[in-house]
Parts: sequence; structure tokens; C-alpha cells
Amino acid sequence: MRYAISGLPASLYGMIVFAVLLHFRICDAQRVKLSITWAIRNMGICFVPAGVGIIEHFELIKSYGVALVTIIFLTTFLLLTFVGVIYQQIENKEQA
Amino acid sequence: MNSYLVYPVYCLITLTIYLLFYYLQIITKKVWLNPMLLTVLTLITLLLSFNIDYRQYNEAAQLFTHLVEPAVVALGFPLYQQLPAIKSQWKKITLLLIPAAALVISVSYIFTMLFINIPAVAVSLSLKSITTPIGIALTEQLNGNTSITAFAIILAGLFGATFGVKWLTFIGVTSPKAQGLAVGTASHALGTATISQLSFQHAAYGSLALIISATITAFISPTIITEIQLMYP
Repeated sequence: MRYAISGLPASLYGMIVFAVLLHFRICDAQRVKLSITWAIRNMGICFVPAGVGIIEHFELIKSYGVALVTIIFLTTFLLLTFVGVIYQQIENKEQA
Repeated sequence: MNSYLVYPVYCLITLTIYLLFYYLQIITKKVWLNPMLLTVLTLITLLLSFNIDYRQYNEAAQLFTHLVEPAVVALGFPLYQQLPAIKSQWKKITLLLIPAAALVISVSYIFTMLFINIPAVAVSLSLKSITTPIGIALTEQLNGNTSITAFAIILAGLFGATFGVKWLTFIGVTSPKAQGLAVGTASHALGTATISQLSFQHAAYGSLALIISATITAFISPTIITEIQLMYP
């Protein structure tokens, strides 16, 4: 735990504080709802400059593109299987 | 050329292209027509064909990057909406998602080091299963590569959105709750948005999983990644 607390990005503390303020009704959820929904729906544009930065890494993609995609693909399926299978078993046990 | 004058131009072009693809997705309702991905691909084509330096573009478009932080704070709203569900379910789900997140972070990191052997790329790939703003923020914190993270997150999302439910049904995971949790954990908002059309339980458990797994990853990834890095001097 020694790295965790100091290592969290500042915006994540903001997220948690915002949720707590909403929960204790210090912020009015009804008032912010529309603007927040709009912000979350259009969040994708914030990551465009970072995404375009991939052109700085053409060499990396040329030599490791297949490995990159394979690792992403396999670990995503590993995670899907792990969570899906275990939760299904928990549910089956609860029903039994 | 006076570069400051082109700053607003780059920003406006980015915004226009994004809005076009945004409405295209609303009209067609196709998940893989992801506006962020399509905007990135269009801009790459434009930068390459007009011979524009990425660094110059990036400096101008920093405006959008700076908005990532308030965007993460905005995610406090869905977190607040899920609080009642989290209160009654959190023990079971957290107990399952802590080992799941730890597993995927370490497996991704170790595989990337084995086959690609670049620590910054390994950091990016270990953080690919969570929602983009948190993934990017953590990548910066842990000295990863934000461009690779952005791409890896989209790919993970698309895989889960297209094959997730089919694969889970194939291996015998048929309960909507289990499917929702699995897709929300592995494929964040992109996967959750897709499966939300299936049933209310898919939607509720998908968004629950995406919020809890992002929070867990934020807490445990600095420790796990630092520990693995110590083993790879």
C-alpha cells in the first residue's frame, strides 16, 4: 500500500469527492445531471490528441504490432473468462 | 509560419471531425464506428498527407488533453448513481474483482515484457481494461505511454463489445449478471454500452463492474507495477 495513496492521480480524488458531495446532497444531483451526462457522452474527444500520438510510434507498431494486438486480445478474454466463470459459479451455488 | 495562429485552426478541425463521427454513430448505432477512433485515424491521415509535425498538432490540441482531468471528476456522477447497488453488492463483487484486476495487470505486464520488452508499453497494456480517462491518468502517473494506452483501451473495448457475450455463452456463462460483470470489467464503457441493449441486468452489472474495477485498478496498479518493475531491473 505504500505507493497507492500517494500515487493516485489527482483527478481520481476529485471523482471520489464529487460522488461523496452528491451522496450527502451538498451538490444537487438534479441540477448537474444534464451537463454531466453531456460531458460523459462527449468525453471521447479529450483522448484524440493522445491517440493521434500513435504516429510517433510507427517503428514500434511495425515491429510489434501483432504482439501488441495478440496480448490485448488474449488478456481481455482471460479477464472475461475469469470474472464470468467465477460469478456464474457463485450464482449457481446460491440457487442450489 | 506563425504557429500560434494555427492553434485554433487545429482545435476546430479536431472538433469538427469528432462531431461528424459522433452524429454518424448516433445515426447508424454501430459500436465499432467509435467517434474517437475514427477521429484519430482521420487526423493521422491528415497529418501525414499535409506533412504536419505531430508535436505541433499536439501542442495546439493540448486544450482537449487538459479536459481529461475534469472528465474524470465527472465520473463521480455515475459512481454516485451506483452507490446504493454498490452498498448491497460490494463485498462479493470487490472480492472477485481484486484478484481479477491483479491477474490481468500482472499477466499483461509480464507478457509485454517477455515479447516486447519496453516497460512504458507494458504499463500501457496493463491498464487497458479500465475506462479511458482513468487509464490515461494512471498511465501518466506510472510513466507509461498514453498513446499506446488510448489505443489498447479502445481495442479491449471493441473485442469485448463484439465477442464478449458470444464467448461467455459459448463457455457456459449464461447469467445476465455474470455476463454484465465480465464485460464491464474487461471492456469498460464500450462493452457496457453495447450489452446494455440486452437487458437491464446487463446494464446495471456492467456499469457496476466498470466503476469498481477502475477504482480497484487505480488503487492496486501502482503497487503491482512497481513490484514487477523491481523484478525486471
